[in-house]
Amino acid sequence: MIVEALAEFLTLGELGGVIVNGLAKSALYVMIASGLTLIFGLMGVLNFAHGSLTMVGAYLGGLLMVVTVTGGTAPLTRLGLFFVAIVVVFALLTMLGGAIETTIIRPLYDRPPIYQILLTFGLTLVIEEVVRIVLGVYGLQPLSDWQAALATKPQFLREPVALGPVSAGWMSLFQILLGTVTVLGIWAFLTRTRYGLYIRAGSEDAEMASALGIDVRQVFTVVFALGIGLAGAAGTLLMWDPTWGASVPLAAETLLPAFIVVIVGGLGTFRGTVVAALVVGMADAVTTWWFQNAIEFTGLPELVLFLVLVVTLIVRPQGLFGVEEVGGH
Amino acid sequence: MEAGWPREYLRDHTAHILVIALLALYPPVYHILLNSPVSAETQMLLPTVETMVGVLYFGLFAISFDFISGYTGYLSFGHAVFYGTGAYTVILIANGKLPLLGPGTPFMLSLLVGGLIAIVLAMLVGLVSFRLSGVYFAMITLGFAQVFYVFVRGWDYVATNPRDGPAVGPSHAEGFQIGVPGIDQLSLSIGVLTGDEVALLGSTLSGTEVSYYMIGLVVLACYFAMQRVIHSPFGRVMIAIRENEERAVAIGYNTYLYKLGAFAISGFFAAVAGGLFAGFKRSASPENAFYFLVTGDALLASIIGGFGTLAGSLYGHLFDETVREFLSKAGQGGGLLPYLRALLGQETLDATLVGDTTIGGLIDLLLNGHASLYVGLVFVLFVLYVPDGLLGTLRARLGGTFAEALPAKLWGDSE
Repeated sequence: MIVEALAEFLTLGELGGVIVNGLAKSALYVMIASGLTLIFGLMGVLNFAHGSLTMVGAYLGGLLMVVTVTGGTAPLTRLGLFFVAIVVVFALLTMLGGAIETTIIRPLYDRPPIYQILLTFGLTLVIEEVVRIVLGVYGLQPLSDWQAALATKPQFLREPVALGPVSAGWMSLFQILLGTVTVLGIWAFLTRTRYGLYIRAGSEDAEMASALGIDVRQVFTVVFALGIGLAGAAGTLLMWDPTWGASVPLAAETLLPAFIVVIVGGLGTFRGTVVAALVVGMADAVTTWWFQNAIEFTGLPELVLFLVLVVTLIVRPQGLFGVEEVGGH
Repeated sequence: MEAGWPREYLRDHTAHILVIALLALYPPVYHILLNSPVSAETQMLLPTVETMVGVLYFGLFAISFDFISGYTGYLSFGHAVFYGTGAYTVILIANGKLPLLGPGTPFMLSLLVGGLIAIVLAMLVGLVSFRLSGVYFAMITLGFAQVFYVFVRGWDYVATNPRDGPAVGPSHAEGFQIGVPGIDQLSLSIGVLTGDEVALLGSTLSGTEVSYYMIGLVVLACYFAMQRVIHSPFGRVMIAIRENEERAVAIGYNTYLYKLGAFAISGFFAAVAGGLFAGFKRSASPENAFYFLVTGDALLASIIGGFGTLAGSLYGHLFDETVREFLSKAGQGGGLLPYLRALLGQETLDATLVGDTTIGGLIDLLLNGHASLYVGLVFVLFVLYVPDGLLGTLRARLGGTFAEALPAKLWGDSE
C-alpha cells in the first residue's frame, strides 16, 4: 500500500502539485517569519507577540475588505482593494510596532534577553483579549474563521489552473507571487539602501555601529516597527487562505511555525530564513499529501514540522545559516 | 547548644510554619467568612477552595519549572510535556491501559510511575537539548513538547477521542487515594465528587476540602524535597551554572551532568503535579496538559512570584488565579461581575450609556471571561517594574530570604 502510494506520489501531476503547494506554503511561512527574523537578527528580541500581531493584521485586513467590497465588486477591483488593504495594514501595524518598541521594549535592552521574551508573552495575552472583546462587540466568533472576510476573495482565486500536467490553485500562485515580492523587497532593502546597511552593521556589532555615528536606537525602533508591519501584511494574506483564516487561534498557529522557520534557518540571517521557509514549506506539503492519501494520522504535517526543528537543532545547533555567537551559544 | 536543636530547627522554619498554617487555615476561614455578614465580599474577593486545590497542584508544577529555569537559567519551555506525562500516566493506569499495572494500582504508585517516566523522558530530551543554550535551548524543548502534544492529540489508544483527551472510566468509580498505599486508615480519597468526607471537631470536611489537605501534603513534601536539593552542594552548582557556566566548568564541574540531573528532578516533580491534577479532575486533555501555553502559565506564575525563588512560584500562581477568578467568573465562585450585578441592581444595569449600550452590557463586555487581559497587563507591569517578582522583591528588601529574616525579626538574633 505504501509502495502504491509512493508510485502515485512520484507521478508528474501529483509531484508537481505538491511542489506548487510547497512553494505556496513556503511563501506564507517566509511572510510570517521575516518580521520575526529581522527583529531577532538586529535586536536579539525574540518577539512572542508576533503571532498575535499577525492575527491583528488578519482582522484589520479583513475589516478593510469587508467594508469596501460588496457583492457586485469586480474580481480585479477586489484584487486591487486587497493590495490597498495590505499596504494600509502594513502602515498601521508599523506605527503600532513603533509605539510598542518605544514605550515598553526599550526599557528592557539592558536586562537579560529572557525579559523581552516574558514581556512580549504578556503582550500576547493582552492583545488577544482585546481582540476578543472587540469581536464580542460585533458578535463575531473568535474561534472560527471569519467567513465574511473569506467571502471577499474573488472567484477566480478559488479555481484551479492547469500548468501542463500539474493542477494548481490560483491562490497558490498568488501566494507564491506575494512571497517572492516580499523576499525580494526585504533583500533589496537590506542590501541596497543606506538603512539596510545600518541594520546589517547593527546586527554584526551594535556597539561599533553606534561608535561610527549610527543612531542604533533609532534603527532598533525602525526595524521593530517594520517587523510588526510585515507580521500584519502576512496576516492580511492569511485572511484569504481557507486553511488559516482570520481567527484568534491564528496567533498560536502562526507563532510556532514562524519560530520553527527562524530557528531552523538560524537566528539573525535573512538568507537562512528564506531557505528554512522553503524546507519547512516543502516538508509540510509533502506530509500533507501523504496524510491525505496514505497515512491516517491527523497531526502528521504538524508533527513533521516540529521534528524538522528538533533534528536541525541536533545536527546543526546554530541552524542552517546561523552564526555561532547569536542566541546564547 | 546540643539539646536546643529542636528549638533551633523550629526557629529556622518559622516562615515555613507560618505559610503552612495560613494555607491550612484557609478552608475553615473561608467557610466561616462565607456564613458571616461579609459573605458577598468574601465570595467576590477570595478564591474558592476548589480553585485553591488547583493553585496547589499547579503551583507545584510552577515550582518545578522554576527549579530548572530559575536556578540553572535554562528556560525549559517544553515543561508541559512532563506535566502531561504525569497526568496521562495516572489516567491510563486507572483505565488499565498501561502494561503490567492494573486499574487497582494505588494512586501514590501511579504518581511515582509517572514521575519515573518523566525522568526517563527528561534524560532523553536533556541529552540532546543541553548541548544548546539560551534561546536555542528554550526552542528545542518547546519543539520536543509540541511533538508529544501533536502525538497524543492524534493517538487513539489513550482515549476514544484523543483530541478531547482521556478521562477516568466508569470501571474506576472510586476516588484516587492519597496516603500510605494498602492501609485504608491512612489514606483519603480526593476529587470534587469522589473525595472522602471527614467528620472533624463537630463539622464535616467536604470532598473538596479533604482533597485540598491531602494534595497539599504531597505538594509540601515535594516542595521540601526540591528546597533540600537547592540548598545542597548540588543546588549550589545549579546556581553557579546560572551565574557563570564557563567559570563552573573551569572550576572542574561537569556542568552537563548537573544540568541533566536538575532537569530530571524537575521533570519528576512536574509529573507528580500533573498526576495530582489528573487525580483531582479525573480527566485531562492535550490542551490543558501538554500544550505550550501550560508552560506559559507556569512561566507567568514564576515571574510574578519571583524567578529563582522556588516558593515564589506558588504565590505567583495564587496571585494569578485570584486575579483571574476575581475578574472573570460569571457563574459560581464569585468574582467582581456577580457582585457588581447584585450591588447595582437591575435598574442601574438597564440604564443606557451611549446608544443602546447599557451599564450591565458594558460590565459584562469588560469583565465576562476576559481575565487574561488583566492578568496580561499585570504581567507586563511586573516584567517592567517588579522584575524580581513578589518574593524576589521582598528578599531584596530584607537583604536575605524571608525564611531567615522572619525569625530574626520575631525572636532576635540567635548569636
